[in-house]
Amino acid sequence: MDEYIVEMRHVTKRFPGIVANDDVSLGIKKGEIFALLGENGAGKSTLMSILFGMYEPDEGEVYIRGKKVEVFSPNHATAMNIGMVHQHFKLVSNYTITENIILGMETKRRIGGFLPAVDVASANKKVAELSKRFGLEVNPTQKIEDLNVSMQQRVEILKMLYREAEILIFDEPTAVLTPQEIEFLLDIIREMRRRGKTIILITHKLEEIKKVADRCAILCRGRLVGMCDVAETSTKQMAEMMVGREVSFAQEKLPASFGETLLKVEHLSVNNADGFPVVNDVSFSVRRGEIFAIAGVAGNGQVEVADAIAGLVAAAGGRIFIGEQEITDETVRQRNEHGLAYIPEDRQTWGLILNFTLSENLLLKRYYQEPYCVKGVLHREKFDEKSRELIEAFDIRSGQGEQTTVRSMSGGNQQKAIVARELDQNAPCIVFVQPTRGLDIGAIEHIHSQILAERDKGKAILLVSLELDEIMNLADTIGVIYNGQLLKTAPAEELTANEVGRFMMGVREE
Amino acid sequence: MTDIIVNGMSFALPLFIIAVGGIFSERSGVTNLALEGFLGAGAFIGALFVVLTSGWFSPGSQVPMYLAMVFAMIGGALYAVIHAVLCIKFKANQVISGVVVNILAIALTDFLTSQVNAGIFGQSSDKFVMTVSGRLTFQPLANIPVIGGFFTNVYPFEFIIIIVAMISWYVMYRSRFGLRLRACGDNPYAVDAAGCNVGRLQFAAVMISGALSGLGGMCFAYSVFGNYSVSIYTGYGYLAIAAMIFGNWKIPFTLGACLLFGFARAAGYWLIQLMGLPGAYSDLIMTLPYVLTLLLLIFFSKNNRAPRALGEIYDKGKR
Repeated sequence: MDEYIVEMRHVTKRFPGIVANDDVSLGIKKGEIFALLGENGAGKSTLMSILFGMYEPDEGEVYIRGKKVEVFSPNHATAMNIGMVHQHFKLVSNYTITENIILGMETKRRIGGFLPAVDVASANKKVAELSKRFGLEVNPTQKIEDLNVSMQQRVEILKMLYREAEILIFDEPTAVLTPQEIEFLLDIIREMRRRGKTIILITHKLEEIKKVADRCAILCRGRLVGMCDVAETSTKQMAEMMVGREVSFAQEKLPASFGETLLKVEHLSVNNADGFPVVNDVSFSVRRGEIFAIAGVAGNGQVEVADAIAGLVAAAGGRIFIGEQEITDETVRQRNEHGLAYIPEDRQTWGLILNFTLSENLLLKRYYQEPYCVKGVLHREKFDEKSRELIEAFDIRSGQGEQTTVRSMSGGNQQKAIVARELDQNAPCIVFVQPTRGLDIGAIEHIHSQILAERDKGKAILLVSLELDEIMNLADTIGVIYNGQLLKTAPAEELTANEVGRFMMGVREE
Repeated sequence: MTDIIVNGMSFALPLFIIAVGGIFSERSGVTNLALEGFLGAGAFIGALFVVLTSGWFSPGSQVPMYLAMVFAMIGGALYAVIHAVLCIKFKANQVISGVVVNILAIALTDFLTSQVNAGIFGQSSDKFVMTVSGRLTFQPLANIPVIGGFFTNVYPFEFIIIIVAMISWYVMYRSRFGLRLRACGDNPYAVDAAGCNVGRLQFAAVMISGALSGLGGMCFAYSVFGNYSVSIYTGYGYLAIAAMIFGNWKIPFTLGACLLFGFARAAGYWLIQLMGLPGAYSDLIMTLPYVLTLLLLIFFSKNNRAPRALGEIYDKGKR
């Protein structure tokens, strides 16, 4: 059995209410890229947290280099050359890259021969050298707060390399990255394999597995349902094992029938917090029964357009209408009442109150209306009644039903809760911003079919997405935004993905 | 002018070292409103030592003063354990804990001072009377116009404070402990992931905070007042907090803030004497540092940035 560097035998881990890992056995070979595939909540992260020592398994054993693991703690895991990049980075924002990397294992020097001090200068050199060796391209003296997400992730990777990790675990590393950054990361991962490191990749993105992984284990609801050689397995087969049923990548889409214009945006301009214009003279309109999709590379003003419509940022110029009603200067609640529903990009900041229960979150837009509030008194039992109805209708899964604290729910179910709340408004106009960000195939499929169902009910839908596939699959009309301006607006059937991609890069028509 | 500098420095420096204590605690992520309690309790222990051992030393000896400072630091650190245990072990609300620790210190030291006076010395008094600290004047530096004020009638503890503050700066910004401590105030999860014990670091930070506050409190007792009672320290703990916030949780800027407060206060006194105002007005003038604090906070608080995880209760399991 010594061909495996990591071996897990019959590992079971239970949490109150759920079995996160159920009798999982697997082996990982030295020097391979091993992918762990599964839907949100399938138990991938839990399993790897056990390997990294953050949890102790209830049953079963873990062997590393043939030796049984007795003590489960991240420190022991680090000592056994295991490193992990968590989904949420653990970085000190006002420290430099080097300071973050050396934290906990600082090298010392002596000032004047006796006073011990942290030796930042030599650590800087070592970090720069490591960064160069693996092609990470970071400047060791930059501060974390000045770095974008992709750079911060590289700091996390360097942290592991600095600790001489041989087994590197990546928890959903690409969820927060742009396509170019993903390519860059995959190159780094390949480079690490070339240098003999063992890499474990937790993900639900099949394309990435297909691109880099050697072998793949598939988890479904805590159980290991399959183990395959990536080269010999199609993505469709993997997807089916993961979801436990057949999946359709392309949605059935009925022919469109457009009604009257509902959402109208005229010459909209938006400034960012520094007063710098990020949206510049954008005009478009969305009809009933139409999905209008805004395509663009992240940071070109698409989120600001949606936020201005929702009332989260003020418009610097231009007008916004729902039907005949101008909503440009209305409050968020007035907009809601005039028929606008909004699914925000950042669901944890704008969409939910994480420490509130699911029931309270589901009623956030109705709590002040009868029958939930009569003469200023809230009626909790009505909240719960309504919540149970929505939980049922939208298949929201959680540990303790409507009383679950939203923070403890998985990302997919948090998103379902927001979608449930917003669609329940029965608003004629719905704005979706990145509705499937960070979700797995099953959940994406679910949300896509809901968007299409709303369209077929005659709603006007604005979809903002960074995923070109999503836009090509769903949109009736596509507007491409570049540098705060709509470069091109055309019916979806007149554009190919390639053309849209080119407009996204700022190519103008002749 | 010389008077303003002399009095300003002797007020500013004890305030400064208390504020440095606050910086230790808050940069580690533990909100510290308890500085007042720390300095009161610490100074109480120091003063208690002085009155109990008054027979051991020859009259006029300066040795008890230095020993009192050591005891005040130990006393402050031990008293700070209450705040540390409440905030770190029992994860109590840090603001409430701080206020409770202050109230407790005032009540306790007042009560115990009277009891010790009555029980041991047979007097009914709520203060410990101590010797007055000696002062040093450095010739010929003291003769330099204006700047000479910094070398005239200097309390010896001012040097101790400057040395302790330099050590504090070194520990905070150059040592391994300091690196980890400041990281706790920004993202304790990162410190935990790096394999360090967040609770232990914060505990140490709060105790250091108590020790430095105790030192500052003892200096107040020896300089401005020459005795110890509750009334000598009420308000200064909060003023130190204001100085720390105004100083943006950084040691050098906080020194600047404290000097400003110290000179404002000394200038206030000088003004009272100059105008020959009755005593009631002196109370009004004494509000000057606080009014100044309010005004400065209005203008500067926009650019100030508290440690990111300040007051956040660190809970390992939270995602």
